[in-house]
Amino acid sequence: MLYFLTHVHTPDATWEPGVEDRVEAWWSEMAQRGLALDGARLDMSGGAWCVRGKDKDAVVTDGPFAETKEHVAGYDIIEAADLDQAIAAAAAHPTTEAGAIEIRPVAPGMPAPELTEAKPGHERYLMLVCWDQHDDVEIRAEDLPDDGEDPMRGWLQQTGERRLHGWQLQPPALATTVRRLDGTTVVTDGPFAETKEQIGGYDLLEVSDRAEAIAIAAAHGLQTRDLRPVMG
Amino acid sequence: MTRPEEQSPVAPVFAAEWGRLVAGLIAWCGDWELAEDGAQEAFARAVERWPVSGMPERPAAWLATVARNAIRDRLRRSDTERRRLTLATADASVAVDLDWADAEDIPDERLRLIFTCCHPALAMPARVALTLRTLAGLTTAEIARAFLVTEPTMTKRLVRARAKIRGAGIPYQVPSADRLPERLPGVLAVLYLLFNEGYAASSGDQLHRVDLTREAIRLTRQLRSLLPDPEVTGLLALLLLTDSRRAARVRNGHVIPLAEQDRASWDRGQIEEALSLLDGVGGTPGPYRVQALIGAVHAQALTAADTDWARIAGLYQLLPATPVTELNRAVAVSMAVGPAAALDIVDAVAEPLAAYHLLHATRADLMTRLGRTADARASLERAIELAPTTPERRLLRTRLAALTD
Repeated sequence: MLYFLTHVHTPDATWEPGVEDRVEAWWSEMAQRGLALDGARLDMSGGAWCVRGKDKDAVVTDGPFAETKEHVAGYDIIEAADLDQAIAAAAAHPTTEAGAIEIRPVAPGMPAPELTEAKPGHERYLMLVCWDQHDDVEIRAEDLPDDGEDPMRGWLQQTGERRLHGWQLQPPALATTVRRLDGTTVVTDGPFAETKEQIGGYDLLEVSDRAEAIAIAAAHGLQTRDLRPVMG
Repeated sequence: MTRPEEQSPVAPVFAAEWGRLVAGLIAWCGDWELAEDGAQEAFARAVERWPVSGMPERPAAWLATVARNAIRDRLRRSDTERRRLTLATADASVAVDLDWADAEDIPDERLRLIFTCCHPALAMPARVALTLRTLAGLTTAEIARAFLVTEPTMTKRLVRARAKIRGAGIPYQVPSADRLPERLPGVLAVLYLLFNEGYAASSGDQLHRVDLTREAIRLTRQLRSLLPDPEVTGLLALLLLTDSRRAARVRNGHVIPLAEQDRASWDRGQIEEALSLLDGVGGTPGPYRVQALIGAVHAQALTAADTDWARIAGLYQLLPATPVTELNRAVAVSMAVGPAAALDIVDAVAEPLAAYHLLHATRADLMTRLGRTADARASLERAIELAPTTPERRLLRTRLAALTD
């Protein structure tokens, strides 16, 4: 199964020395085992923008989609046999010592992403698509539209190769959050924060500048789009 | 769908076999809803047939075969992708033996079912509901009544729990040996909560509530037979010891404190069983076994005055030192050593428990015994302000009145 891992921690979280090396070691081990497919840290000092509305009616505001104590600091995409393996992988990551990792299964039928080299002179942005999914239970294969009926088809064509990959996620009711407290793994049901709007999908964009990323988000037109720069 | 009537010949088979049947069917077809539907249909058929044709020689095998056929029929009639996949999986997994001719050959998958129902990625209310529905075979309506929620609310809770298991990929397996210590407490917490829910309600209206204490003891027994871990044994002993005092615990709607209970009405059978369970395990006891050992000291005292408080105070030190366990230890120390020694322990936890009425009630008791009446009165007044229920306030006011005389 494919899982989207959202790393969160408080902006003033203190990290033990050498944590960078441990994050690197985690990534190498998970990639070698075939678990980690893609992932990145977000530039937390680089700002966040919210885009609502479509095209010329789009409104851009500064700040993330929801005011939460813990901030989205990075993501990983993993392929695991089951939730227990995903929990074990998350629990081994240093993020769970100072913050938390939310594990969200990916909606059925989504293709695995291919890792690509960064294009010179380009920036990457993570676009989180967020909406109120309070009553949503589970997306089944038969619930998803056929390609011909996909309302995002036009946007996908228009965005082309500037969109590296993206997934729709299972709703927050299927989320699991992992923390480590005093050396033990603490697993809880649900997303990392009880906000009205929740992450429902994401797209990874590679563009020449922020204005281009915002234009792509404006053309998307559905729900709330939250844009953040990915660390190079 | 309801459970078989109490007097039906199917009822004892249902109590003994439901969990095992559902667990086996989930292992077979991988679909929780189908497995439960199949098991229900098999029991419905048994209720119809057995009184007429007599009980089959191997009821478990009979039920399993009927349930599998029912699931097969249903899968053939439906045409969604998921169900087609389920049928393919099920057919591939039973190439060996389609008839389950011998009940002894049916693998017992209940341990997998227990660990999946009690998975930490499920919220506690969902774990409890799933365990009662899937393992114990209670109907959704019965579980809803037991937890004082409406049936649609409970149905929704169960639907969401099953959706999470399926959609988030919660595995249907017993955790590996290295993960077991991390996962077992979550299972025991469900059984303990289930028992307490039933025990706390035991003075209320019993007419329409299933006996959750009985279900909790039954499930803990099952777990122990499948996984003879010392802490599982400890929990079973703790539940039996607590339940043994049930009849003595309430008189005319008033809760009777341990020291004032009529010890002749304690259930000796349950006490003997618990004591022999505790004798049979060794090593460093975990938290449930420590609580069971404390219960055993009370159970072995012929009168309240005979209680071995020094042993109880020692046992409390084996529990993780939370403010509440320290407060309980202080009570034991006050009986074993004296009020002055206990006061030091109470003072050490006074800050974290400042809003807890029992801290002030305990302090008042110690002050009274030390002859510091004014301090005792102040503590009791604070305890009355903080006490959450009327019966508790009533008890504290009686003590306050006694102090003034």
